[in-house]
Amino acid sequence: MASTSRGDVLALPKVQCPNHPDAMLVEDYRAGDMICPECGLVVGDRVIDVGSEWRTFTNEKATKDPSRVGDAQNPLLNGGDLTTMISKGTGAASFDEFGNSKYQNRRTMSSSDRAMLNAFKEITTMADRINLPRNIIDRTNNLFKQVYEQKSLKGRANDAIASACLYIACRQEGVPRTFKEICAVSRISKKEIGRCFKLILKALETSVDLITTGDFMSRFCSNLGLPKQVQMAATYIARKAVELDLVPGRSPISVAAAAIYMASQASAEKKTQKEIGDIAGVADVTIRQSYRLIYPRAADLFPPDFKFDTPVDKLPLL
Amino acid sequence: MEQNNSLPPFQGLASPQGALTPVMPMFSPMMPYGSGLTPQPVTNTNSLSLLEEQQRQQQQHGMPGGSGQTPQLYHSQTVTTTTLPGNTPLYNTTPLTPMTPITPATPASESSGIVPQLQNIVSTVNLGCKLDLKTIALRARNAEYNPKRFAAVIMRIREPRTTALIFSSGKMVCTGAKSEEQSRLAARKYARVVQKLGFPAKFLDFKIQNMVGSCDVKFPIRLEGLVLTHQQFSSYEPELFPGLIYRMIKPRIVLLIFVSGKVVLTGAKVRGEIYEAFENIYPILKGFRKTT
Repeated sequence: MASTSRGDVLALPKVQCPNHPDAMLVEDYRAGDMICPECGLVVGDRVIDVGSEWRTFTNEKATKDPSRVGDAQNPLLNGGDLTTMISKGTGAASFDEFGNSKYQNRRTMSSSDRAMLNAFKEITTMADRINLPRNIIDRTNNLFKQVYEQKSLKGRANDAIASACLYIACRQEGVPRTFKEICAVSRISKKEIGRCFKLILKALETSVDLITTGDFMSRFCSNLGLPKQVQMAATYIARKAVELDLVPGRSPISVAAAAIYMASQASAEKKTQKEIGDIAGVADVTIRQSYRLIYPRAADLFPPDFKFDTPVDKLPLL
Repeated sequence: MEQNNSLPPFQGLASPQGALTPVMPMFSPMMPYGSGLTPQPVTNTNSLSLLEEQQRQQQQHGMPGGSGQTPQLYHSQTVTTTTLPGNTPLYNTTPLTPMTPITPATPASESSGIVPQLQNIVSTVNLGCKLDLKTIALRARNAEYNPKRFAAVIMRIREPRTTALIFSSGKMVCTGAKSEEQSRLAARKYARVVQKLGFPAKFLDFKIQNMVGSCDVKFPIRLEGLVLTHQQFSSYEPELFPGLIYRMIKPRIVLLIFVSGKVVLTGAKVRGEIYEAFENIYPILKGFRKTT
C-alpha cells in the first residue's frame, strides 16, 4: 500500500478528504494516519510505518543491528535499482561444500553502474583526504554522472575524470583548489587532470571563473599558521599587485605566495620561501621571481593600517 | 616596382590599354594603372589576392562610364580612356578603381599592417614503395633509427633546415620548413636520398598538413577580459599554460595569445588561413589592450 500524501500522478487511488478534496493531507507517521489539515478528519489509516523496526539503545552491545532495511538509497546518482544481494553466510549451514566455497557470491549488482559507484567511492576518498564538505562531494558526483552518461570521455581513466570533476566542483563552489592540491590526493598526473578538465568543460559546455589570488589566501595562511592580520595584509598586497599590473602573466598562485612571503617578512611571523613554496605547491625560485617584481613597489602594496614588525625598507631583497 | 616608375609617361598620353597590349594584365602582379596602388599600404604581398582584386574590380566596373564612382585624382585619365574607341573592356574600363581599398574587409578600421611570419610547415608525402629502414639508417648520412623508441628513421638535411620521419610503409613526414616551397623542396630532397639508396621512390600526394605562424601586436593584452567576453572560444588557465588558447571557428585556427602581445597561430592548411585568422583577431585584441 503506497502512501500518496503528495497526490502524485501515478495510477494509484488518490486519497483525499471528502470535504476538502484539494487539501494536502498531512501524514502522521507515529499513529499511521493521514489527516486533513482543514477539518482534522483522519482520511487514511494503517499507513506503512517507515520508522525503524525496533529501538536500539547505545548501552546494549550493538554488534548486531538487526535492521533489515539497510542504507539509504541515493536515487539521484544510482539510477534507483532495487536489487537483492546475498551476502556471505555466517552460520555453519552456509553450504560449505569442500569447506571452501560458500553459497554463491553476491551477483553483479548493477554492472552498468559499477564503474560509477567505484568512482563515487574514489571521489569520497579523495575528498576526505583534504576535508572537503559534503556539498562539494555531491557536486562532484553529479558532474561525474553527467560526464559518464554523456560517454564522450569514455576512453579516459575514470580516476582522471573523477579528479577533474573534483577540481571543477571546488571551482564552481567558489573555493578553488590548485591542480597540485588535487594531484596530491589522486594518483593521476597534473597533466592528465588538466587535459580531462578541459575536455569535461567542453563536453558539459560549462565554464568556470578565473582564479584570483584571494581564493587561496585563507587556506595557505592558516596552513602556515599566520595570524589574521598577516593574512589580510597578504590578500591586500596580492590584490594591489594585480591591479597595478606589476606581475603580468604570472600565475595567481605564484603571486599569492610572493604576497604571503612579503607580508610574513614584514610581520613578526617570518616564513621562509621554502616553507611557503611547500604549502602553495610553487617552487621557491618562482616565489623569488614574483617577489622581485613586487618588491620595488612594496611601500604602496601594504594596507594602510598594517603594523610593521620589520619596516618596508628592511624587507629582504631576494 | 619599376613598372610604377614607368607609369607617369602613360598617363594622359596613349591609352593605357594600348600600352598594355603586349602584357596580359592577368599575369603581371602590378597593373600599370595600379599607380593608384602605391599610395596605399599594401598589406597583401600575396600576388594571388591582388589578381583576385583586379578581377573583381573588372567585374564590378563593366561600364566604362563608371566615372561617378571614381575618385578625383585621376579625373583627367577617365576622360581619355572613355573617349578612346575600340577598347576591349576586358582589360580595364576605369583605371581609377584601384583607389578603392585593396583588402575587402574591416570596414571600421584599416588592416593591421602586421603580417604573421610562418615558422613551421609540416607536410606528408608518399614515396610509393616499401622501405627497409635498417639499410636507410646504415647507409644514409644524418639518419637515426631506434626501433625500440620509434618505428621510423629520423633524417635531417641542412639546406632547407628540416627533419623527416620516414616510415617503412613508404610514407614520410617533413617538418621544420619555413615556407611551402621549401617544404616541398626538402621533401623532394629526402625522396632523392631514398632513391639514391636504391629504392624506387616516387613523389606522390604531397600535402601540407599544418602551418604555424607567429607575430607580435606590439601592445600588452588583458587576457582576463578576453576570456570573459569570448568564453566559448577561449581557454585561459594560468596554472596550466600562461597563454590564452583561442580556438577560432571561421578559419579553423588555434591561436595562442600571450600577455606580452605575441600571438602564435597554428592549424592552418594554407597560408591565407593564418592571415585571415590574424586579421580577425587583431581588432578584438585591440579592444583588450592594456592601458597602463
